[in-house]
Formats: sequence, C-alpha cells, structure tokens
Amino acid sequence: MSAAAVDLAERVPPGNRSLFRRALRVGLILGVVAIYGATIGILPLMDARWVIVDMVSLGDAALIAIGLSAGVLIAARTRSLEFWPLVPPSLVAGGVAGGLLALLALAMQAFPLRQIFIALSPGLLKSLTFGLGASRGGAVLIVAGASLAVLGAALTRAPEGLRKPAAAGLAFVIVFGVFQELIQIMMQSGGAIDALRQSIYTWEGLTLAGALIIFFLASGAAFVWTGWLRGPARERFMRLSPAQKRTAKSARVVVFVLVLVLLPVVAGSYIGQVMMLVGLYILMGMGLNLEVGLAGLLDLGFVAFFAVGAYATAILTADSPHALASYTAIPSLSYWAAMPIAVLASIVVGILFGIPVLGVRGDYLAVATMGLGEIVRVVVQSDMAAPVLGGAQGILQIPKPRIGGFELADPVHLFYLTLAASAVAAYFAWRLENSRLGRAWMAIRDDEDVAQGLGVNLVKVKLLAYGLGAAFAGLAGSIFAVMLTSVYPSSFQLLVSINVLALIIVGGMGSLPGVMVGSLALVGLPELLREFGEFRFLFYGAALIIMMRVRPEGLWPSATRRRELRDEAGEAALGELEGTATRPAPRAPDLQDTEP
Amino acid sequence: MMKHSKILMTALCSSLAAFCAASAAAESKGPVTDDIGVLVIPKGAPVQLGGYWVMSGADSALGIDEKRGVEIAIKDQGGTLVGHPIKLNVEDDGCNAEGGQTAATKLAANPNTAIVLGPACSSAATAGAPILWKAGITDIATATTAPKLTAADRKPEYDGFMRTVYSDIDQGASDAKYVHDVLKAQKIVTIHDGSPYAQQLATVMGDNFKKLGGTVLSQEAVAPTDVDMHPVLTRIATEKPDVIYAPVFVAAGAQLLRQEKETPGLEKVPLIGSSGQMAPDLIEAAGDAVVGYKITYPDVSPEAMGSGYPKFVDEYKAAYGEAPISGFHANAYDAAELAIKAIEKVAKTDASGSTYIGRKALRDAVLTIKFEGVSGPIACDEHGQCAKFKPAVYEFTNSDPKTFKIGVNPKKIWP
Amino acid sequence: MTDVARGRTLIPKLRSLSRFTFVDVVLWALRISVLMVVVGGSVGTLIKGRYGAVQWLEFLTFGVTMGSLYALVALGYTMVYGVLRLINFAHGDIMMTGAFSGYFVASALAGRGFLDRDPVLAMLAIMAVAVTTSTTIALLTERLAYRPFRHVRGLAPLICAIGVSFFLEQTFRGAFGAGVRAYPDPKWQKGAISVLGYAVPILQIMVVAAALVSMAILYLIVQRTKMGTAMRAVSEDAEAASLMGIDVDKVIAFTFALGGAMAGIAGVCYAFIFKQVYFYMGFTPGIKAFGAAVLGGIGSVPGAMLGGLFLGIVESVGPALFLDGIGIPAPYQLRDLIAFILLIMVLIFRPYGILGERMAKKRA
Repeated sequence: MSAAAVDLAERVPPGNRSLFRRALRVGLILGVVAIYGATIGILPLMDARWVIVDMVSLGDAALIAIGLSAGVLIAARTRSLEFWPLVPPSLVAGGVAGGLLALLALAMQAFPLRQIFIALSPGLLKSLTFGLGASRGGAVLIVAGASLAVLGAALTRAPEGLRKPAAAGLAFVIVFGVFQELIQIMMQSGGAIDALRQSIYTWEGLTLAGALIIFFLASGAAFVWTGWLRGPARERFMRLSPAQKRTAKSARVVVFVLVLVLLPVVAGSYIGQVMMLVGLYILMGMGLNLEVGLAGLLDLGFVAFFAVGAYATAILTADSPHALASYTAIPSLSYWAAMPIAVLASIVVGILFGIPVLGVRGDYLAVATMGLGEIVRVVVQSDMAAPVLGGAQGILQIPKPRIGGFELADPVHLFYLTLAASAVAAYFAWRLENSRLGRAWMAIRDDEDVAQGLGVNLVKVKLLAYGLGAAFAGLAGSIFAVMLTSVYPSSFQLLVSINVLALIIVGGMGSLPGVMVGSLALVGLPELLREFGEFRFLFYGAALIIMMRVRPEGLWPSATRRRELRDEAGEAALGELEGTATRPAPRAPDLQDTEP
Repeated sequence: MMKHSKILMTALCSSLAAFCAASAAAESKGPVTDDIGVLVIPKGAPVQLGGYWVMSGADSALGIDEKRGVEIAIKDQGGTLVGHPIKLNVEDDGCNAEGGQTAATKLAANPNTAIVLGPACSSAATAGAPILWKAGITDIATATTAPKLTAADRKPEYDGFMRTVYSDIDQGASDAKYVHDVLKAQKIVTIHDGSPYAQQLATVMGDNFKKLGGTVLSQEAVAPTDVDMHPVLTRIATEKPDVIYAPVFVAAGAQLLRQEKETPGLEKVPLIGSSGQMAPDLIEAAGDAVVGYKITYPDVSPEAMGSGYPKFVDEYKAAYGEAPISGFHANAYDAAELAIKAIEKVAKTDASGSTYIGRKALRDAVLTIKFEGVSGPIACDEHGQCAKFKPAVYEFTNSDPKTFKIGVNPKKIWP
Repeated sequence: MTDVARGRTLIPKLRSLSRFTFVDVVLWALRISVLMVVVGGSVGTLIKGRYGAVQWLEFLTFGVTMGSLYALVALGYTMVYGVLRLINFAHGDIMMTGAFSGYFVASALAGRGFLDRDPVLAMLAIMAVAVTTSTTIALLTERLAYRPFRHVRGLAPLICAIGVSFFLEQTFRGAFGAGVRAYPDPKWQKGAISVLGYAVPILQIMVVAAALVSMAILYLIVQRTKMGTAMRAVSEDAEAASLMGIDVDKVIAFTFALGGAMAGIAGVCYAFIFKQVYFYMGFTPGIKAFGAAVLGGIGSVPGAMLGGLFLGIVESVGPALFLDGIGIPAPYQLRDLIAFILLIMVLIFRPYGILGERMAKKRA
C-alpha cells in the first residue's frame, strides 16, 4: 500500500493541488469503492461472516478499514511528519467517503433500487445505517468516517514501536475471527490447546474477550520483537559474510517450505486438501512458467495438457467401461505405470499443439492457443468422443495409488505425493532455467529474430518449451484424476488456464518461489474463503490489474526479472522491495549477470 | 535445491510413517460400542449437522432452496435434538466434483459432524460421499438423481450414501411412458446440453422409449452456452419427429422453446422438458413462448405429496418471503427429518449429559426408518434409495414470471 | 509495407528455419485433414440428401444474421487493434454491458406498452442508453486499465485486458444477479417479409441492416473525417503522429469510444434476436468476433464485416454440411469447434486475413 501511495504522491505535481482538493479526491474514490462493494453484493456477503461474534462482522471491518485508509492515504501523501495539520483534510476525506455511503442509504430508502440492483436489500440498508434509518444512520456514517480517518492519520504518525504491534494485533484478531471454523478444528487436538480454544471461542466464533486476548498476545509479541529483538538480530545479520548471508536467506526459503510441508500434519485433512489443490497449481504454474516466463510463449490453452494427463490416467487405470482395459487387450495399469505414460502423452500433445503455432507470435499466439484449449474441451465433452472419453458423464472409479499394500486414500497422503512431484518438477525447472536451453528460451523471449541470428534453433527450442511445459501439466492432471477418482469434462475449462497464468503473474514470472506464493494467494485463499467463491474472479480481475500497476514483477520475483523491469520502467525507486528471492545455490553466470 | 530435496524427503518419510497407523477397529465410548466410531457430544455442545449444496453460480437457486428446506425441518424440531442445540454447517460445492470433494473434506475434517445432508449435484456426490463415509459420516442426499449412486453394484465406499430423492432411471422410464402412451408418439428426437444430468436423462428416456416400441430418430446435443438453436432445429425438422424431448436447463430450454416456434416444420411438434426447468427463470427467459409448454416433474400436488406439504410451503413463505425457488425443498426437508429420527433412535445420553452416537448404528438406523415425509413415503432399500418417483406432467399457463407457482403456473395436467 | 512483406516471407521462413521436416509434414497434414473433412463431409451430406434447398437457405439466413452480429462486434475489435495493437479481451463484455442496460429500458418501455405503440422512438431510446453505457465503460477501461500500460512491452496489456473482462463480468453478476433476463417480444418484430418466395424474418433483416449501416458510418468516419485520418495516422506510427501534432491520447480515447458504441449496438441487436441477457453472454461471442476480425484482416473495416459474415455462415452451415456427412453424432455440439479451427487456421496460414491491409506486428 505504501509503495502505491508514494507512487501516487510523486505523480501529483507539487503545489498544483491544495491538500483540501486531494482530500476530496481521496474521499470520493473511497466512497465510490464502498458504494461499489455494497452494490455488487460483496458487502452483504462480508456482513454474514463474523470477526467478533455478534459484534463486528467482516463487513463492518471492511468499512472501518475504508475509513482508516482515508486518513492513511492523506498522511502518506504529505511529507511533513506532524500530525495536527493532517486533521482537517482527514476529516474531509473520511467525511466525504461516509457521506457517499449515506447518500446510498438515502437513495435506497427513497427509491426501489432493489428492482434493478439486487444486492441493495433492506437487510443491507439496516446494517449500513446501524438500524437507525437512513437520515440518522447517514449522519452516523459521516461522523464515523471522519473520525476513523483522523484515527488512521494518527496511526501513520504514531511512533513505530506502537504502530507495528497494533497492526500485528489487529491482523491476528482478523485472522482468528474470520477463519474461526478452521482454527477451531485445528485446535481440537489436545487438552491445553482445547482449553485455550474454549476460552476464546464459542461455537459461533470469536468472543470479545477472545479478541482482546489475541490482540494483546499478538501485539505484545510484536512489541517485544520490534523493541528489543529485531535490532540486535539485524546487526548480527549484517556482520555475516556474503556467503553466510546467502545461506541465511536460503534457510528462510527452507523454513517456508518446511512449514508448507508439515502444515497438513498439524492442521488436518481439510487443510491437506486445500494444500493439495495449491500444490497442483504450483505444478502447473511451474510448467507454464517455462513457456511464458522463460520462453515468452503466451499459452492460454494450457488446460488442454492438464486434461490429457487426467484422461490418459483415467483410461489406463479406471475400473469403468471407458477404460482401455475393458475393450482392448491392454491390461489395467497401476497408477505408477500410468503416470509416466500420461506425462508422455502430454508431451506428445504439447509438441503437436506447438507445431502449428510456431510461426504465430504475441497476442495472436494467446488467442490461437486458447482456441486449441477450447477445442480439447469441446472434444472431451462431445458425444462424438463419448465412447472413448466418457462424454458428459466423464470417467469414474479411478483407483487411488497404492504403495505396496498401502493405499494413498487420505488427502494428506496425496498432498505428499503432489509435494514429491513438485519437488522433482521444481528441480527439473531449476536446472532447465540455468541450462543452455533456458538461456535460449530467454533469448527468444526477448527477440526471436536476434536469437535466430545468434544460432538458436527456433523450432527445436519452442517445441521443447511446449513439450516440457505440457509435461508438468500432464503430471498435475494425473494426480488430479486420482484425487477426485473421476474426471468430468467440466473441470477443464478456459478458466483453469487463466488461473495458472494469473498466479504466475501475481507471484512473479520466472520465479519458483513466486509460483508458490501466487498459488497460495490465488488458489489457497479463495478455497479457504469459499463462500466468497463467486467473487473469486472479481478478486482475480482486480488483482491482475492492480499487480500490473503496482508491482509488475510479482510478489516474489526472480532477481533477473526485477532487474529487467526496473531497467524498462526507468525507475530506481523500487528499492522498497522486501523479501528478494535468490537462487538457493550459485548458478552459472550468464550474459545478464551483473550481481555477485 | 539439493538441500531442499533432502529435507523434503525426510519430511515425507516421517509423515508417511505417522499416517501408517490404521484407524481403530471397534470403538467403545461411554455406553456405546460401534464398529466404525463413536461421536461424543459433551453437555451443552451442539449436535452438528453438515450440509453441502450448490450455493453459488447459475444453479444456486437449487442449493439455497434445499438449505431452506433443512432449516425449516430444524425449526420444526424446535432447534434441539437429544438435549443439545442443533447447528447446521453449510458448505458450497459449486455443483462440480472438485467442489464436492473440498466441501466433503471440510465437513469430514470436523470430528463433531454427526451426519451430512446434500448435495444437490451428482458430480459433487460422486466425489464427496466416499470421503464422508471414510470418516464414518452418513450422507443423505437431497437432489442427486444419478442412477449409479444407489445402484446394486455400487462400490462399498458409497455404503454411507442415501437419498430422499428419486433416481433418473425412474424418471426416464416414466417420461418415456408418458411420451409413448399418452402423447402417442412413435418417433422422437432427444436433445441434451452436455451436462451429465441432461445427457443421462435423455439416454435413459431414449432406451426406455425404444423398449416400448418407439424409435429414437437421433440424439442431438447443444453446447450449454449456445444461443442459436435454429440450425439444430432445422436439422431436426427434416427428420419429422412426433415429439422433441429436451431435458435441458433453463437457458438452453428457453432458447429451444422460442426458436422452435420459428422453425418451419416444427410448429406443431411438442417440446417436452424436464425437472431442470421448474423455475421462475424459465418463464422470464422464454416469454410468450412458454404458454402451453409441458415439463415432466415429480408429482408435488397436495394429493400426491404427504399431507404435511401445504403447511411446509406456508412455513417456507413466512420464513423467506417468497415461494420455493426450486424443486427439491421437500426432499431436503425429508432428508433432515430422516437424519433427526435416526439420531434420536441411536443416541444414548449418560448421566453427565454427554451424548454418544455410534456411526455405523446411525447409518443402519437410517436404512430402517420409514415414515410419511412431505414429499411422499420415505423408506430406504438396502442401497440407499429412499424415495420413489411419482411421475407428473406440468404445463405453463402464463407468461408473467411473477405468477410462477408450482401447481398453478405450471399446473398439473397428468395424471 | 514491411509488415506485409514480412508476412509473405513468414511461411518460407518457417520452411527455411526448420531442420525438422516433420514440422512441414504436420502442417500439410493439418491442411489436408481439414480439406478432407470439408470435402468428404459436403459430399456425404449432399449424397444423403437430407436437406432441401429450403433448409440450406434457412441455414444461410441464420448464418448471415449471426454473421452480422459478429461483424458488429468485430468492428470494435479491429479498430482498437489497429490503433493500439491490443486485443481487447473485454470487448465482448462491453457488449454485454450495452445489452444489459438496454434491457432495463426495454422492459420498462414494454411494460408500459410504449414499445409497441411507438417502435422507432422506443428503439432509439434503448439504443441510446445501451450505447451510452457501453461507451462510458469502454472509455473508463481505457483510462484506468490500458493507458498506463501503453508503453510497456510484453504481457502486461493482455493481462490487464483479461483482468478487465473478469471485473466487468463479476460486477454485473453481483449487481444484477446471475439469473437470465429476457428482452421483450414486441409484435412488430415478429413476422416475416417474403423475399423471392422465401420468408425472411423482419428481425433478421433489421440486424443485417444495422450492421451494414454501422459499417458504412464507420468507414466514412475512418476515411473521410479528420479524426479518422488521425486514427489511421496513429495506427500507422504513433510516435510520428504525435510529432505531427496529433493528440494521441484523444485519438485513442475516441477509438475506444467508437468501438464501445459499436459493441453497444451489437449488444442490443444480439439481445433482441436471442432475447436472453446474462452476465457471461459476452465472452464467447467476443472470442468468435475476434476470430472474425482476424479472418477478414485486422485493422480493416470491410474486412471485419466480411470476416463476420463468413464466420457466421460457416458456423451455421458447417455442422450440417461437413460433420453430418461424415456421420458424427450430435454435430451441433461441435459448432464452436468449427469456429475455433477456422480461427487457428487463419492465424497459422494467413494471419493478415482476407483483406490483409495490416498484419499483426510482433508485440514483444
């Protein structure tokens, strides 16, 4: 948020606008955001989720956040560090935002808006105006907006030792409140933890007492960290040698991965299921990364390879009239025999898809590959292919994999299978990136003609990109098939391809940790917040646009990418980035290497 | 990366070892011994019922309608069961297999889930029911009609799956009978829209029609997002069928309905739809063309339904401000009733107020309970089929969507 | 000029750069198999003789109607691409916004009987609202989502376009619900005019006429007005145009507005023919319209019209003519297949389209 704010501040020509007009603008924008959230139905949905049971709903929290951010935006844009000059503009900004909401409430009361905008129900009006009716509720909204804005401005000007713990405390309260179901399930394991659970939760959610306990615990911990422990830790870090620093940084990655690995053990099979989906998308993301991130081939038909892997596994292993075993002499295979064949099939299909579109470039390639993906979707659903592929009914009764006599039935088991597959795949991806092939890909991404002039065999390199990318997707597809024990054609829509593309964009193209982060954010989070399922795509759309504007290199970018984009945009001020990813081990120097 | 692989490998092996511990055999807690497991509900804690339906997307009316049916059943029960308050945990399965699996996993991960109701879509049930049964949780479905789920040769992982709704086999057979015997059609064409439900029903109906001596001229299909039906209807016109049977959903059905009237050769050929179109949306989408349109549907007239049905509809309207928005609310109510009765039958409460429920006993109890539900008599066979299909045909009479009311517009015309 | 030349050398270049002859083989196999399906299917169908002349005529008229709709949407695509080199994925959704806003006006007017009493005025009102909405939304998306990325190379603009598409769809779904709304059915739109003994529905004539008129107006704007000349200059070379004193921002905004207006008209026409509006209705027609634009020659106004008509006719006649003949069950399910294969063939073999004025410049 602060990067964006600084960015915006730099864009406003100094001295051209008064603080007042800026405040008006901020207020108007935030007000429109609030009205938008109400009109499209996100606010009512958020109202249904409690943060603090019977007191503060997620919708309330969102409105409070809007109020606070009015003040924060004003404060962040002004250079001076004093608080009192901020009060009038914050009042204006917050008041305007609240005022717009009040206008909405008045309009809802006066006109039958519900006939057109279905989300503007009487229930929403009641919660917006706190049950006080439009006029009085509107006044409350304006006052509340103004005061929250002032509070927000105060928070930004508060000393850091106070600010960070408060933010940490709030964040923890929100997480514990919103995800109360999951956390309660996780906490039902043992005696002491269960006692803690009962003290902060009821069956419906977080109590006020519980919220206060969490707040103080979290902010206390953050306070101790910022006040006493962080300084010395930083100093110690600075004193390490560069090699030791690199080890420490990679240790951070290792810890992150370890948490990922052990989370389902602690948290139960539901989290295992969610992590499993995340893992599958990480696999696919790595594959698309090869095609898009490294080779610059925008492939929107990626789901086709996913489907090939899934269907290949299905017809080789299923216990169904559509399996090859039922009508040919080919015996029913075990999963471990079928998986490599499925991957091989994907590679072949990938190459076959790549050949026709070798000469197509840029956006046209995107549309051409999208067409290919859609062709596969229509074919697997069609009656024409139904005798072999099952048509609309799909192929059912796919057995789970067995190791010896042990069946990998639990989602957690399959999660570890996915993890193992991802680890193998990640290793391949990493080695590919740093090989000659990887560099050839990067060359054709930058300029195909120049690369060709330098002796890169375009055909071979492009086909390898398609084939290897497809291999990853095929692997993911075969695991998907045994996860669901069935394949339905409706699972292979264009949306899957766009999902994968979105997550490598958001996470950071060309970066393996970025794929993980992107997957967690765009796949894991919506799974956990399933009731907002419909708005998932709104979130995607907004996230894509915002990411492109604010942080085009992604959340956890690769070092090369960040450099490239930095040079491109000509901005030196991206240095605010935290958490820079590094290669876990030194790689061979290439033409673009200017960092030690 | 090498370091990572080693760490990952050790983590993988250690957790695999952790999971090799098999689940317990017969378990005994309190006064209850059970082959699968015993659910303990401490004093004051709620009895948790799970539910998963399609709550988002184009079919959300289906799921919301059923959830409401269950909620009314809980209300009628007084909100308490065997001395504990009832809590309903609802998940959204999105009407597809992944959603069903995720929803079922979440419900199964909650060790306090006593029994689960739903889903509405067969693909969700295919993925979700085995997961629930693996955790010992019985699943009573409310609108899934796929025949495989209660077939005699269903796999043991579906042993915990029952449903208070009919099977497509029954509906397909009776639809064929209606078209052949009542409409006196000899040659028909079927159309489906690529969804498993429509395709299944069209196939079953076609097979039955052939058995009755008729001919199925062709089985057509359209894509679910198709709007231009003229070409396929023109093609069908050349085959000169007596009836077109199209058990598709609202969007495709409305287009077929409108455009059939504009296709030369088909003006007099009746189009017959099915349960997927029993919704006010159809009237809105089809406009004037809907008048005289017939669809097959389970008989929900007061005479055919259980005697409690009208009262149930009144309660529904009072609670939610509108008439039932889809077709399976009564089945959902009955599923909840069945679950409640089964729990009452097998739950044992000890002196301290904690209640114990044996999971296998619960499932067996569901199979043995018989009663008059609001959707008809509920009695389960050994494969979990607890309701029969009572066929009926409804005809739409008015093109104003506000007049939608099952039994009035459309009104029952057969039997 | 270099673009066209580069285009013409692309296929020979492909041959010269492939050390693997199987690439050539595969491409030729693709051409031949498509040809076999087309010819074999046609022969088979004509032999079967299931369809008479009347049916073919019907297929043709449906095709022309659909084609005109595709053409209207393709006009917007082609203009935006010509000027910005951006495939506006959200274009189909802008059409949806026009159709949706027109719905509210149409149903209100129909409810009062106004639609039947005073058709011309009512239709003008509906069009006006639809066009205003779609143009406004097009301008907003240009300002907020596309302008910042105009100078950024790579994937960013495309990603943003996808993001905008999602955003629009979900906004409309949230605000107006996921259900299907239907346009009213005024009496004067039913009925047909007899052309050469064959009854053509009035509605279809209206739509074709609307498409032709729009194309003519667009063509005039692009060729005869000052703004049109500026548009052509910017699409030729934006930097040189700005050096010549043309306000590039304004031209691009104008282009988007024009495209949005076209989409709005297309939306209303589409909705009157197919009656159903819902939030996702724009996506597939959008993709197909893009195919039509490419088919006809991206950047060319008559090309978009031609491409649209061609695509519509092939989609309508195709399943009957090609697929039925080779005995495929339920051929209409595979209708989209025909459109996509056509699109891919065009992109591979003739990316500059039928009237190839401009070729797609490499973006990266």
